Amino acid sequence: MSFIHPLALLGLAAAAIPALLHLLQRRIPPQLDFPPVRYLSAAERESARRLKLRHLLLLILRTALIVVIVLAAARPLVPLRGGGAHQPTAAVIILDNSPSSGAIVDGGLVLDRLRVAARSSLARTTSADRVWLMLCDGVLRGGTREALLVTIDSTHPGWLRLDLVRAVERASRMVNAQPLVGREVHVVSDGQRTALASSRATVPSGVRVLALAPERGAPNRGIAAVTVSEGAAVIELSGSMLDNGGTPQPVPVTIRIGAGRNRGEIAARGLATPGREGTEGATRAAVTVSLPAQSLAPGWWIGEAALEPDELRADDRRPFAWRVAPPAKVMAAPSAGSFVAAALEVLQAGRHIIDGRDVVIGGGDVPTSPHAIVQPPDDPALVGQANRALASRGVPWRWGQLATPGVLSSTDLTVLNGVPVVRRYRIEGAGGGDQGADAVVATVNSEPWLVRSGRVVVLGSRLDTAWTALPATPGFVPFIDALVNRIVIGEAEVASAEGAPRVEFRTRGTDTIGATVFGPDARESDLTPASTALVTAALGGKDRTSVLSPDRFAAEGFSGTRRADASGILLVLALLLAAAELGVATRTR
Amino acid sequence: MAQRLDLLDPAEVARLGGIEIVAEGVVEGFLAGLHRSPFRGFSVEFTEHRAYQAGDELKYLDWRILGRSDRLFVKQFEEETNLRSMILVDASRSMAWQGTPERLTKRAYADRLAAALALILLRQRDATGLVTFDEQVRQLIPARVKTGQWTRIVRGLLDTPDGQGTAAHAALQRLTALLARRGMVVLISDLLFDRELALAALRYLRHRGHQVVVFHLMDPAEVELSGPPEVRFKDPESAVSVVVRPRELARAYADTVRREIAAWRKACRRHGIAYHHIQTDMPFGLALRLLT
Repeated sequence: MSFIHPLALLGLAAAAIPALLHLLQRRIPPQLDFPPVRYLSAAERESARRLKLRHLLLLILRTALIVVIVLAAARPLVPLRGGGAHQPTAAVIILDNSPSSGAIVDGGLVLDRLRVAARSSLARTTSADRVWLMLCDGVLRGGTREALLVTIDSTHPGWLRLDLVRAVERASRMVNAQPLVGREVHVVSDGQRTALASSRATVPSGVRVLALAPERGAPNRGIAAVTVSEGAAVIELSGSMLDNGGTPQPVPVTIRIGAGRNRGEIAARGLATPGREGTEGATRAAVTVSLPAQSLAPGWWIGEAALEPDELRADDRRPFAWRVAPPAKVMAAPSAGSFVAAALEVLQAGRHIIDGRDVVIGGGDVPTSPHAIVQPPDDPALVGQANRALASRGVPWRWGQLATPGVLSSTDLTVLNGVPVVRRYRIEGAGGGDQGADAVVATVNSEPWLVRSGRVVVLGSRLDTAWTALPATPGFVPFIDALVNRIVIGEAEVASAEGAPRVEFRTRGTDTIGATVFGPDARESDLTPASTALVTAALGGKDRTSVLSPDRFAAEGFSGTRRADASGILLVLALLLAAAELGVATRTR
Repeated sequence: MAQRLDLLDPAEVARLGGIEIVAEGVVEGFLAGLHRSPFRGFSVEFTEHRAYQAGDELKYLDWRILGRSDRLFVKQFEEETNLRSMILVDASRSMAWQGTPERLTKRAYADRLAAALALILLRQRDATGLVTFDEQVRQLIPARVKTGQWTRIVRGLLDTPDGQGTAAHAALQRLTALLARRGMVVLISDLLFDRELALAALRYLRHRGHQVVVFHLMDPAEVELSGPPEVRFKDPESAVSVVVRPRELARAYADTVRREIAAWRKACRRHGIAYHHIQTDMPFGLALRLLT
């Protein structure tokens, strides 16, 4: 039970008034002569028990009367299972309009079903509530009920994946911070298993999580990723293979290359054969489709991989981008070291590079070639001279003191991650120079280890096993390949991001230095619904989370705080108590 | 038409003057309202005949004259004043109490009633005496019919101070020895003493052939309990006190008083004692009429 005016409960202290008056009235009464005291004594003896009962009854009635009146003034709210207004509540409605909500299940759009549930939740709110709406972008939208209803009605399947666990955590923290009596999070989602698998949400006590029970899923296949390498496109498939447990059928994949008018021309086809669900990795499949690379002119190209349409159209197409370029002309200075020379030989054999002086890898000296990759000198005495050479080429970096060993870390060159470095120079910014935002390619102990400035790449360690274990790792040759073909000319790796399928190129000046391919998260393709137990466990546990069918979801919203004002009943009770008190007080006189 | 004092409020009548004036006024009014003597002696003597008048009682009609002369004559008698009456007035401390200042104390009421009764009895030539008592007999005026007896009785009432406790049975037992000749004993008291002991003495008087009349005198405030919300009531005689809330106890108290009166009435009737409950707001004439 809670109260609208809890301060009025201070008046409960007045309940002590009857008892206090009873005690205060125990003063010395006036004394009067009265001859027939013997009659009085006899009458009192006969009435003693009745009078004691009457006094006790009157004390109880008067105390109860005050208590009831004070409670009525505080306007208590009692829980109701049925109708009735609920207490002011802070609520977040999470409408999961992630790409999977665009699936067609049982002939209807999943999002349409979710909209109905979200509207039913929102319709129960009152002006005293504070309500936010969270969509798949994770943004908490406040506003009036009408405004939020408009938002719900205008919502379409989005392109961003919604991690329900994190969304519920954010929402519960938000409502828990509100100074309102009720705190609820309504999760209106298709309940994808993949949306809940990340972890377990930490929900503060007092926050109620109501989740719409997942309904049955649908078989679906989507393109998880497309990468181009060695003149072929590697197409990864993902999805839920709910095909009645039979043998998965091969999936035709179509590759289209080109943009503008050329887009839509089928460049290649292939068949991907998914594995059976239930075996590890079975839901992922890949097919390699050769591209007509010979006919493509150098430059950036975009393409699109497509599947046959199914229940979820959002993941049936995925664009991809790659750069067609001639092999770099590379040579290594004698001081570059034997490991570099060996790697270049491998790359030359694989026609990744050809012999030339466009890119020179130096070992302590700074080459004057158009593009230079510079290692620190082996002799510390030569560091100053090397720094002056860097400065003369306008490189705003310099080698500093020997720094502590560490482990390599890079977002652009993932092959470097985790490789130990035992000896390195700290790469420091030269005073007054502009290092640029994307100049640092790799770090050790959060300090620059591989930096690029213009056409010069500076390494913090020599590419030798006495300095770093990198030359002994399988990623060394790919690292050198990326270094000479991409990093040194300022080109970034093709990145992927969530969003509507498209390709965005990154440019520096007039040069295109990279591309970002947007598409839905591959996990959205798996339409397998989570079990009720998983939803309950992932979204806060049994104590805080209720997974409800659509009918119950509509009824249970705000029921935790649904209250009726009991002051009317209490006033009636007060009247009855007053009448009883009057009756007892007058009848026995 | 002049108002009869015997029918007025006793307190108003008492303001007219002393006991003598009040008693005489009351008696005059009382006797004027009677057609015959209120009390009849043990023997009467025939005096003369007179012609029958309408309203005369037929039992006094002389049937022999009617038979001989066919005329209606009634016999007239002269009452003999050989009735011996003793009026016992309770002078205990409880009698000196009044519920409100506007009313007479029980003692004042009893004095005036006793004086009026004595005057009536003496006027019809009954030997009348007075005993006042509390724990012991305070005044004893033997029954006489001689001139000045009433004055002595009144003086005896005036000379009796308010007493202390009441031990009526002791006084009554002493009276049984004093009242050798049969007569009428009138007890005016609030009867706030042990009923059984008092009844034993009254019973003894009754056995001795006395006609016993008891006036149970109460103040109206003693019949219906009232007062402050909470009060300590103290018995002026015994100093016993009790704290009560009059409004709570009023009904039970009234029931107790009713039962007490009923018990006295029943016990007196059983022993041939005339019992009358009177209150201090009752006109003296009405109280006297109870004796007729």
